[in-house]
Amino acid sequence: MAKKTYDLLFKLLLIGDSGVGKTCILFRFSDNHFTTTFISTIGIDFKIKTVELRGKKIKLQIWDTAGQERFHTITTSYYRGAMGIMLVYDITNEKTFDDIVKWLRNIDEHANEDVEKMILGNKCDMEEKRVISKERGEAIAHEHGIRFMETSAKLNINIDRAFSELAEAILDKSAGREADADHARIAVERRPSRAPPARACCS
Amino acid sequence: MSLHKARIKAFEDILNEDVINMEQLQKLAFNGVPDEKGLRSFVWKILLHYIPQERSAWESTLLKKRQLYQQFIDEIIVSPGGPTDHPLNLSPDSSWSNYFKDNEVLLQIDKDVRRLCPDISFFQSATEFPCPEIVNSNGVKRLHKRVEQSVLKYSTLERRGLGVAKLSNEIRRNEGVNSGDYTPLNEGCEAHWEVVERMLFLYAKLNPGQGYVQGMNEIIGPIYHTFASDSNKEFRKHAEADCFFCFTNLMAEIRDFFIRTLDETESGINYMMSKLSECLKKNDRAVWEQLQRQELRPQYYSFRWLTLLLSQEFSLPDVERIWDSLFADPQRFNSLIYICCAMILLVRDNILSGDFASNVKLLQNFPPMDVSLILNKAVEISTA
Repeated sequence: MAKKTYDLLFKLLLIGDSGVGKTCILFRFSDNHFTTTFISTIGIDFKIKTVELRGKKIKLQIWDTAGQERFHTITTSYYRGAMGIMLVYDITNEKTFDDIVKWLRNIDEHANEDVEKMILGNKCDMEEKRVISKERGEAIAHEHGIRFMETSAKLNINIDRAFSELAEAILDKSAGREADADHARIAVERRPSRAPPARACCS
Repeated sequence: MSLHKARIKAFEDILNEDVINMEQLQKLAFNGVPDEKGLRSFVWKILLHYIPQERSAWESTLLKKRQLYQQFIDEIIVSPGGPTDHPLNLSPDSSWSNYFKDNEVLLQIDKDVRRLCPDISFFQSATEFPCPEIVNSNGVKRLHKRVEQSVLKYSTLERRGLGVAKLSNEIRRNEGVNSGDYTPLNEGCEAHWEVVERMLFLYAKLNPGQGYVQGMNEIIGPIYHTFASDSNKEFRKHAEADCFFCFTNLMAEIRDFFIRTLDETESGINYMMSKLSECLKKNDRAVWEQLQRQELRPQYYSFRWLTLLLSQEFSLPDVERIWDSLFADPQRFNSLIYICCAMILLVRDNILSGDFASNVKLLQNFPPMDVSLILNKAVEISTA
């Protein structure tokens, strides 16, 4: 087995309507580039980036999903193992914002109960095309008790911050399990594709 | 005579018969169709059962189909003057509600055709043969105009039964579709992506049970590219109509991949993925076991491979070469399974030494390689 290059593995998921910029956000984060010439994501895509938080090397395994309804059966099967979910809408498109509620319901149905969530209002560089105010974004996030941020993959606004805040929230949550850290680490190393047990008792 | 010239002649010989011998043509096409003299474009039309085997019926069939397509354009795109009844008519069949539903479909298509094959400039460039009724309409009949001007939401109307005042507030200019270079061309001109948008919209309208599903753009793209690059001007001129029917025929064979409720059926995508998995198990147990052990499920990579007939995995010329073989397969799409299996076998050493992450990456971004290697391996598997 290859030498371990990280302390913890977090599995994250990007969801939201088609065309809101999920792939661009991920590309900005993982490769620090922006391009409008992306093909549409069919099914599910995958990127890895290692970040350092509080002296720990954290490997983020990030799954990028297709937005259209047809792919939901394929993509919801990934919800279960996710420790963090980023829910993205486009501030220039009303429908993508309205659908946030639908996506939240999806999370409730398919994800672990204690999954860390964050709502991102993307394309905040396009101020002249904006139809969703920042306040409306904040309000819906507040209503559901979820973190919120406006981002721009194009201008690299809040992208790194969004991922590190989400990772940090997961880290906080797993701090409770710190006592068991050595054990957890071994588990992570051996079963890299499976999320560690989310909580001691779910039911 | 060079080998290449001999191949071209072999095709021409078959195509010159009064009745084309399908079996011979399939056999020949399986090993690749030359691009010269519009051969690929023509052979695909036959393999996709658009042009009939009887030479005597070619002309009349093409004429009839091309007229029919023109009729679709007239009836579905050019003639409708927009909704006719009152916007507050809440009947699900009101022309407004249909108009809004269409626009939602159109919005999705519009997003996707502007993301079609960004590596090449073809789809952003102007077609020699724009649709005159549409490009000379002061923009009125252009499909993307409909979704750019008014993102008028059907769902909002339905849910809240809004008054007219509120309705007009909901109409927003949304010209900022972030389109990169996929900008609409000037009056009188039309880009190839606009043509693709039209075909997909007509397909969705004429197949309401299916509608438009993301990924269909990746299926129609290579067909249209092949037809619109035909060296024969007459065929180039009718590339749109011909492509529409070939796409429709091809979709009739693979449409179940795109329908969620059919995922579990024998024609659905899950069945195809499990067939691939079985094929792999049979041909290389070690690799199959490695993927099992790593819980690297077939959906992670083969969902896209199979649904899109590999069109997102390779460059366009390679995709076209692979499709020669796919279309030539009388048992479509057995060869698709073999080709996908061959791809995995060709990177087996990497998979066996790789961890979960590097293996997902490898399979989701398949390394460029000579496609003939893959196709030969696929033949090897199929005859094993």
